Amino acid sequence: MNFTFSEDQILFRDSVREFLNNEVTAESLRARWDTPSGRCKELWAALAELGLTGMLVSEANGGLGMNEIDFVLLAEECGRAALPEPLVDTVLVATPVLQQAGKDDVLAAIATGQSAVAVQATEGALVADAEFSEYLILQENSAVYLVSSADATLELQESIDPGRRLYSVSWDASQANVLADGDRGVALQAKMFNLGALGAAAQLLGLSQRMIELSVNYTSERNQFGKPIGSFQAVKHHLANVAVKTEFAKAPVYRAAYSVAHNLSDAAQHVSHAKLAATEAATQAAKSGIQVHGAMGYTWEVDLQIFMKRAWALAGAWGSRGEHKARVASAVFGPERSLGAGQTFASAS
Amino acid sequence: MKLSFSAEDETFREEIASWLAVNLGGEFEQLRYRGGPGDEHMFAHERKVWEQAMAKGGWTCVGWPAEHGGRGLSIEQQVIFHEEYARAGGPGRVGHIGEGLAGPTIIAYGTDEQKKKYLPGILNGTELWCQGYSEPGAGSDLANVKTKAVLVEGRWRLSGQKVWTSLAHESDWCFVIARTDPESVRHKGLGFFLVRMDQPGVEVRPIEQLTGTSEFNEVFFEDAIAEDILGEPGEGWKIGMALLGFERGVSTLGQQMSFQNELNEIISIAKQNGAAQDATIRQRIAEAHMGLRLMRYNAMRMLSDNSGGAEDSAALVYKLHWASWHRNLGKLAMDVLGPDSELVESGPYNLSRLQSMYLFTRSDTIYGGTNQVQRNIIAERGLGMPKEQRPQ
Repeated sequence: MNFTFSEDQILFRDSVREFLNNEVTAESLRARWDTPSGRCKELWAALAELGLTGMLVSEANGGLGMNEIDFVLLAEECGRAALPEPLVDTVLVATPVLQQAGKDDVLAAIATGQSAVAVQATEGALVADAEFSEYLILQENSAVYLVSSADATLELQESIDPGRRLYSVSWDASQANVLADGDRGVALQAKMFNLGALGAAAQLLGLSQRMIELSVNYTSERNQFGKPIGSFQAVKHHLANVAVKTEFAKAPVYRAAYSVAHNLSDAAQHVSHAKLAATEAATQAAKSGIQVHGAMGYTWEVDLQIFMKRAWALAGAWGSRGEHKARVASAVFGPERSLGAGQTFASAS
Repeated sequence: MKLSFSAEDETFREEIASWLAVNLGGEFEQLRYRGGPGDEHMFAHERKVWEQAMAKGGWTCVGWPAEHGGRGLSIEQQVIFHEEYARAGGPGRVGHIGEGLAGPTIIAYGTDEQKKKYLPGILNGTELWCQGYSEPGAGSDLANVKTKAVLVEGRWRLSGQKVWTSLAHESDWCFVIARTDPESVRHKGLGFFLVRMDQPGVEVRPIEQLTGTSEFNEVFFEDAIAEDILGEPGEGWKIGMALLGFERGVSTLGQQMSFQNELNEIISIAKQNGAAQDATIRQRIAEAHMGLRLMRYNAMRMLSDNSGGAEDSAALVYKLHWASWHRNLGKLAMDVLGPDSELVESGPYNLSRLQSMYLFTRSDTIYGGTNQVQRNIIAERGLGMPKEQRPQ
């Protein structure tokens, strides 16, 4: 039993963090708010260059052949950076779905960075980054479809998060490529939902850490009564509470990645737990972050808004709190279980 | 990352499970699920006998190195041991302060002679320990210890008062932090002493708790003889803090398992009395379930981190999380019971296990470092926020 990441996984995470720190600055994010696409093709090419777009694509299709556990730390970094490009949806959600459906050509295009893929969380839902992406994975009834974005009519729906690009999609299912339908379609939809919620949870975890950093920095520098306000317990305790929620949201997110990667039967419950814990951490980081920034926290100028708005958006994406809590509750009230199967620290080998 | 046990570990699981199935019966049957938090006053003598039965089977101090008489179990097998112990409803361990705190500290800082003298009593379950840290003037501000230690004809003699000393009335030994240098202030000039409780200079006065029972005490030292000093005079703070580090190790797993038993009982009541149909109760139970899983995951992270660095921040937030969680669980238990929760079934003031638990859990967020102190530590040590001004 080992619940830690390997040295290689940590090193990779650190190098991606450094890359995103340099390439995705707050200034560059703000600059992109004012462009129509809000996205940067060059950055996407650079992410592909690093092997990130093809991380979960098999080696046969030109990818790195890694799994959800390898990627979860990087999804966290995407959150920390508030990365606008749809790396998490393409890698963590679309790739496993396309892999299951055997779409080798699209997978190869993902690995080279030629294509991004946008995904629809549930039937009729708005699709993030539909215009930037070459392909869309859409749902209708019990079927999952692969649609070229050129074949769909997209209409931009403005988000309260200026970094988001959401689209309503009109398309013709009869002309589209079916990835799965019937029972297999329903199962694939469930899988997509879990992957999407996991990706959102990991990003929320990263966002939460970024907001803590911003708040710690600000309260360490801002002086009142002749001292940094961060030395006052009333201020400190706000951030300590956020630190607890954030630190304790890590394990369920990693646990969920493990369960998803290993197709464990408890994966849905674990994903819901991860999404709930990370949402709570990030929303509290946003709320307390504004509070300890004082009036500055309420301004357009302070970068905190970039991350808090993304957190609020992702908190509502891929299942509401109520929905995820209901999934956990039904597992808790399910058939009586002792400390045995599923209740022990680890699963039996 | 690998979240599974090996076949060898599963064989070990069968071994401890079947030992408990055979041995936790007969005279010990009545001890099942007893003696946990808020219930520690129950069956104190019988639980000591049970401790000795555990010792005969080789099931005390399972995480101690074999060279010191322990079982030398791997982390995984210690996890399994605690899981199976809780699954069987194993009673609260009266020897836990000796096994989890005193023993590891003596192993780390004691001389060979001291190890020979003190470890066997802990291993055999014949000698129980208590912890003499807090004083009336040294609570959250522990460094303000006033109990004095004076060297008289080659023996250290202690005078002063300790308070909130759990199980002092059942204990044979107490480890005490006292001031060896009368001129010293705060963390300096302290010593770490091992003191026999049964002597004229030691008086134990029980403190009655909200529950109407007495699990902790005031302990008065008047020229009491300290059997030994661990380390050197002046090292008391260092050793005393190292001891607290042992506390957050595997011993927390046993606690989590008893939490699981409490939660299971609450769920089962909620199913029986219909509270489980109430949407808000369902949500709170789901939250409690997740909160407990968080503890278990984080214990796994802390325990599987051999570098001792990367997961430190998880260790830092642990107390605040479990204490708040358990306090909420107490309230949840009462809300699930509904109006009946107010009624004392058998008098006088003989509370049910959950009623005791509810009242006891009011103290979780206070003892062992209040939530406020924990938040200061997390903010200053974990987040690196500016330090509050404190006396030097």
